Amino acid sequence: MDSLHIGSYTFSSRLILGTGKFSSSSVMLEAVKASGTQLVTVALRRFNREQPGDDLFTPLTSIPGITLMPNTSGASTAAEAVQAARIARELSGSPFIKVEIHPNPQHLMPDPIETYEASKILAKEGFLVMPYIPADPVLAKRLEEAGCVSVMPLGSAIGSGQGLATAEMLKIIIRESTIPVIVDAGLRSPSEAALAMEMGCDAVLVNSAVAVAGNPPVMAEAFAEAVAAGRKAFAAGIMEKSGIAVATSPLTSFLGTEA
Amino acid sequence: MSQMITIQVNGESFTLPAGSSVSNLLASIGSEQESVATVVNDQIVRPDNRASFRLKKGDRVEILIFAGGG
Repeated sequence: MDSLHIGSYTFSSRLILGTGKFSSSSVMLEAVKASGTQLVTVALRRFNREQPGDDLFTPLTSIPGITLMPNTSGASTAAEAVQAARIARELSGSPFIKVEIHPNPQHLMPDPIETYEASKILAKEGFLVMPYIPADPVLAKRLEEAGCVSVMPLGSAIGSGQGLATAEMLKIIIRESTIPVIVDAGLRSPSEAALAMEMGCDAVLVNSAVAVAGNPPVMAEAFAEAVAAGRKAFAAGIMEKSGIAVATSPLTSFLGTEA
Repeated sequence: MSQMITIQVNGESFTLPAGSSVSNLLASIGSEQESVATVVNDQIVRPDNRASFRLKKGDRVEILIFAGGG
């Protein structure tokens, strides 16, 4: 079985699903089920007494085999992210934390310095830290050394649907990394997810592409199939590119030609 | 009539009887059925401690849930 190992956890699915931006909780839950994902992200939010029943903990954890990965979205400093992580762990009971610190809402690019500081502290506290990062191989290696169980470099800006704009940097991170590399953010279509897996990514994290699709549960299934196909192709060994044509049919002993 | 105190709950003023616990607060705002995390003045108050944790005038309370996020 070609499983994904993160920390002491083993997952058969290599698709991680975000739960934001869906038109309703019921559509989101249908998409989660259709995707076959085993790891989903959630965000901390203030309880609103005007909208009781918004809590996603119970419906998500009622789905068999689901583990929660809370994020620290909303934090703009390491200190805020560390506090958010500690609160999230109380609520989730899950050791996973997606460290996500993006101070600028215009581009939502992760702050590498605050992300590194928060990840270092949280790894020492026993969290399974999965930082959302710019596609920077040096930062990725430093986070690995700091005890992160995975790195999650962006393909392109959150929610932008610009795909694997960072492909060349991702390839370096994949080559250098000894922990799982998960492309997080920017994927628009299943073919991009398949390409990420063919490149050797260990998993992908998708949210907007599923949440805003015309039919989110069907799109979730399409992503799951693409991720599985891409992974299978990577494991099977993809042919090398050649600068010249290489015939697939014999070019000799044909009709009037002399052997 | 018992004395009332004013605290901040999720950034808004809230009045409740002096001596109320975090559990009392959750019951009075209707969130006792939800899976919530409670934080008082930046200190996490675990579920086991909510009944005994007494709130004081001016305390800042955060009540948090998991919502959708990527």
